[in-house]
Amino acid sequence: MRMMNTDLRAEPAATATENLPAVELRGVRRTYGKHGTAVNALDGVSTRFPDAGWTAVMGPSGSGKSTLLHAAAGLESVTSGEVLLAGTDITAASDEELTSLRRDTIGFVFQNFNLIGSLTAEQNVALPLRLGGQRVSTRDARDVLASVGLADRSRHRPRELSGGQRQRVAIARAMITRPAVLFADEPTGALDSSSAKSVLALLRDMVDTSGQSIVMVTHDPAAAAWADSVLFLSDGRIVDHAHSPTAPGVAERLAALEV
Amino acid sequence: MLRLSASTFREQWQLFLGSILTVAIGVALVQSSLLILVTAATLEAPAGLSTLERAQLMDSYALAIPVVGITLALALFLTIFIVSSTFAFTVAQRRRDLALLRLTGGNRKQLRKLLLGEAALLGLVGTALGVPLGLALMRLQSQLLVMFGFLPAGFRPGWQHWIFAVSVGIGLGVALAGVLAASRRAGRVRPLDALRGTGDEARVMTASRWFVGMVFLAVAVALIIVAQSVDPSGAMPLMMLVTLAAAVGLSTLSPLVVPVFGRVLGLLFRKHTIGTLAAANVRDGVRRNAATAAPLIMLVGLLVGLLGTSFSSTAASEQTLHRDTAADLVVTSPADEAHRIPGVQAVANASVEVDVPLVMTNVEHEEDALGGAMESGNARVVDPDDYLRAHRVQPVAGSLEQLHGQAVALGPGRSGELGYSIGDTVHLKIGDRQLQLPIVAVLPTTPYGGPDLLLPKGIAPESVLPSATAQTFVSTVQGADPAAVGDNIRTAVPGTVDSVDAWVQQQAAAEQDTQLRIFTVLLGMASLYALFAAINAVVVITAADRRSEFAAARLSGLTRRQVVRMAVLESETVTAIGILLGGVAATGTILGMRGALERMSGVGVVELPWLAIGALVAGAFLVVGLTSLWTARSATRMSPISLVSDE
Repeated sequence: MRMMNTDLRAEPAATATENLPAVELRGVRRTYGKHGTAVNALDGVSTRFPDAGWTAVMGPSGSGKSTLLHAAAGLESVTSGEVLLAGTDITAASDEELTSLRRDTIGFVFQNFNLIGSLTAEQNVALPLRLGGQRVSTRDARDVLASVGLADRSRHRPRELSGGQRQRVAIARAMITRPAVLFADEPTGALDSSSAKSVLALLRDMVDTSGQSIVMVTHDPAAAAWADSVLFLSDGRIVDHAHSPTAPGVAERLAALEV
Repeated sequence: MLRLSASTFREQWQLFLGSILTVAIGVALVQSSLLILVTAATLEAPAGLSTLERAQLMDSYALAIPVVGITLALALFLTIFIVSSTFAFTVAQRRRDLALLRLTGGNRKQLRKLLLGEAALLGLVGTALGVPLGLALMRLQSQLLVMFGFLPAGFRPGWQHWIFAVSVGIGLGVALAGVLAASRRAGRVRPLDALRGTGDEARVMTASRWFVGMVFLAVAVALIIVAQSVDPSGAMPLMMLVTLAAAVGLSTLSPLVVPVFGRVLGLLFRKHTIGTLAAANVRDGVRRNAATAAPLIMLVGLLVGLLGTSFSSTAASEQTLHRDTAADLVVTSPADEAHRIPGVQAVANASVEVDVPLVMTNVEHEEDALGGAMESGNARVVDPDDYLRAHRVQPVAGSLEQLHGQAVALGPGRSGELGYSIGDTVHLKIGDRQLQLPIVAVLPTTPYGGPDLLLPKGIAPESVLPSATAQTFVSTVQGADPAAVGDNIRTAVPGTVDSVDAWVQQQAAAEQDTQLRIFTVLLGMASLYALFAAINAVVVITAADRRSEFAAARLSGLTRRQVVRMAVLESETVTAIGILLGGVAATGTILGMRGALERMSGVGVVELPWLAIGALVAGAFLVVGLTSLWTARSATRMSPISLVSDE
């Protein structure tokens, strides 16, 4: 297997702008296991995820996509290297610091939604602010739900919603804190294609109209095609980088990686 | 945050209902025993009784106090054990939810606050149910005590206002304590855990779990060693502590054993799909299976351990009584008729022994609450030479030869407990006669007990004799047929004549009867509580944990009936684990008691209550099996696909 693009130190074009990158990784290495059987999930990754941009991360299974996302979001510590989130070095951040980051600076969306089943849509959405000790008016939560197209579903519990609706509740929950970066791990992985399309359109709209930064891990070339750029990972290294991707183009590069 | 608790409560009500009920029953048990204890301890004998009657009445109450006191201690201990294991388990069940809270910005403190707040709420609701339940239970318990003769008829424990504060304190305290360690562990949940697996902790055997388990087992072993050097009467309460410590230790370490049983089940059902699946479930659900086994370990340990201890000590006293009795026949007759027995043909020796009740005044002791420094006792008036021929006993100090005139010997009943030694003077009152007698001999303590004091003939006033009963130990002359001699005695003296074998058996049966009453009071409620906890664990686990797992099993091709069979098989395996580990705890207890008995009497026996064990094992399998059947059926009632796709 050989990469098509020899630019190993892929640098997204957006770094040229005056803005700080939303997330920057510098020589990040993440090793699992002990010396003999050590596996490098991330093998010296350096990259910048641009502010107000949407970056998709792709790669074969086991390429380190999820580890990259977890490391960038401070969910997982790195073995060496540095992680900068919105300009702050979080490599050695304490649990308290990471908690407050999760409250104010970052949001998460997952394949399996991870909503709290016992809370209504609006309670789920308000939860991050409540955990941050803020009083949240029902109105605020409903406004955010309305912005994801679920104004009439605020009193429903997750199980009473379709997959696409659940994922939009999850996005609303992530967005209520107005995070600097939204991390999405296979956000359309559990959705049918029309639900997936509406969720991706919502994310696209957030980037275009309010300059939201998004880092998204996905398997799906069609989903990746909605992003501004695509990073390709293989064996824990960045092996390729595409701008203004198209679904067939992404599929082709991915297929080349999986040979 | 409270809203989150409230809505979690609505969702997982079985989880919380179980917690509330465990608190409620615990509070009820403790409150009931405490109220009975307080009332029994402040009982006053009615006016107008003689000193002796008063002392005897107070003595019968005094027996109720340790019995109810131990019941109280046991109730408190079980409450702490069951509530904390239930609460810790429910926290472990919600690990994924908690990790999700961390992911959405909750910090450790908030998680702990949430869990402690919930625990406080559940504790208070549990207490609110427990207080009235405790009053009902108190009525039941005191009826039992009256029925068994531990307390006088008409005994009515009263309500005390302060008990409310105590009950609230206990309900709140055990709930908070139960969740404290678990909440600290939950605080360490990593947000990433929300994205992985079922949310259960990967490692069940944490370092602290190892430590706690080992400490409790070490305590159990240490207590067994200590018990080897105390009297059996003192060893008995120690054995209860051994059982408790061993049961806690084994419950804590049970996750080590669970996978082994899973493997055994797998081997037994090698060619059986459902069996293999159940075996895999046993190995996989180590935490939930350990949580179900814990109350069963306690139940079996307590019941088998203590009943076994009691049966063994009764067997030891039967054997030693047989060994120490040199006579062929025992005649029970009115005291003033017994003097005719030695004259019956073919009687070689007759030791006429008359029981007289008396009051001992202990001048060295301070006045205490139980009617001053007086206690009732029983003395046996004997002829020392006849006595030595009828009983194979030797004093540990002094000599029975000197038991003539104004003298007393400490009998085998309570010789160690009374606090006298040879040469001391005993102040006592028989009938209306006050006596001060020097102790000339001390007999060894025996497993079968006996009188507190031995008195020489002629010392008791004639007035007490007509109402007294004599036991006469008769040896027949060589070659005579004891049965024929017995017939001769029967014609000469009104009363009953038993062969020594029959008499020993009667004594043992009476002792067994008393012990069974004590253990019924002690263990009755506690056993039901432990059984409830086991049922609760099965219900909670199935309701909270396994719906989607069952649904997935059905989607992969199992019929509903097969899923239910799989669940029942798994539960029965866990029951077997509980029974076996409980059996280990009980074995330690019984062997410890055997050592104590052997050291004292030279007779080491183990007698097991097989009937009770059989009933217990069958009952545990039946109850857990039925609960599991019912919960698995209701968990699989809905169509599987709706459960798999559920959040």
